[in-house]
Amino acid sequence: MGGDVQKDFKLIIDNEEMSNVPAPEAATKEELQRWPLFGLSVGSFLQVIAMEQQTCIMEVYLNTNNTGHFCFVEGELYDSVCGDLNGENAAMEMIAWENVRLNIKQILNTSSVDRKIDKNLMLLMMESSRRRDEVQENGEHADLEMEDVETLEDAEVVADDVERTKLDTCLNLMSKDMGDALRAASIINISAGKVLAFYNDDPDTAESFLRLTNFMKTTYSNETPFELGDHLIMDLKDQQTLVILMIGEHQWNIIFNNVKCSLGMLRNIIMPKVIRTFNEMNVG
Amino acid sequence: MNIQKVNVCMDILKKDLGEGFIASCIIMTEDGQVLVATDQANIAEATLLNDATAFIRNALKTYPAELGQYYYVDVAGTMAVLVIPFGDYQWTVTVNKKQVKLGLLLNVVLPAIINAFEDAVVS
Repeated sequence: MGGDVQKDFKLIIDNEEMSNVPAPEAATKEELQRWPLFGLSVGSFLQVIAMEQQTCIMEVYLNTNNTGHFCFVEGELYDSVCGDLNGENAAMEMIAWENVRLNIKQILNTSSVDRKIDKNLMLLMMESSRRRDEVQENGEHADLEMEDVETLEDAEVVADDVERTKLDTCLNLMSKDMGDALRAASIINISAGKVLAFYNDDPDTAESFLRLTNFMKTTYSNETPFELGDHLIMDLKDQQTLVILMIGEHQWNIIFNNVKCSLGMLRNIIMPKVIRTFNEMNVG
Repeated sequence: MNIQKVNVCMDILKKDLGEGFIASCIIMTEDGQVLVATDQANIAEATLLNDATAFIRNALKTYPAELGQYYYVDVAGTMAVLVIPFGDYQWTVTVNKKQVKLGLLLNVVLPAIINAFEDAVVS
């Protein structure tokens, strides 16, 4: 990583208030002036930079022994360094930090910036969160054995919520790629008949599409020598197309404007990317 | 309906799809009776897809949306079926999806046979 780092983001740095800020122990005033931003979590700030498509270096200060930085090019996380760690490992280490101080520097020349992180930022944040939960879970394991059945049911609900969050991430990724071409989308657990995530859609529509595929599957299986494959494509009026994909335990229903986004673009570019993300998260 | 022109539609289809063409069938939507079918046509499947079209139209009402010119059903293995509902008629075209590119089917073959079939129906 390199890049020509020259210019601080003066507008969002307020050094005047430094004296009023509670300082971490053992940090000198000079040290703190290097990291004038505070009050937001690392994750929140990363999301703002990604959303604003900034090209910058975000420096992070936890304490004198724990510092590092993230490198963004047009909102995409390219690299991170934290002590001896770099790339994804460094990013996941720092995402978990709380009560940090930050500084942001603009990168004026990105020609020498090498990309070392391919994973989507949202995925990294979820993976970091998962690791943190695992650590907490291990610590609480002995206590958990003493909990009653009701608590275990609560844990199942939480697991369900985690799965929903992951699927929401997939739909958000699709929405980001397709822009306003994406009219509606939903993801259903086929065997449970449960709508897990939806975008501009409602559970009734998603369930009616599930009934449709169940009807088609049963019809093919019972009345013909063939089995239904893994997708249906329907041309709809008003320049819309409905694509239904059956991937393992999940059914994806996607309605999009076929003028703003071609079927070929959806099938060959967008869906492979979304499915790759979906698989990387080990959903189901 | 001009039967000779309908047969011409089938000829266009076979010619455009080449070895990727498997079978084709045109049925009446009202009673599911077959009007025209090629040798390999699976009549049972074509009739069932007539019911499927009614099911699809109903399912789309909840969105709400209306079915357009066609729908495409992926079948496990090498086959796929293009279904073209035309009011009183429904045309099913079974292809070898390994040999027929979806883009060719939807952007080249489909518009050509829809034009030819509309001509046959009004004649």
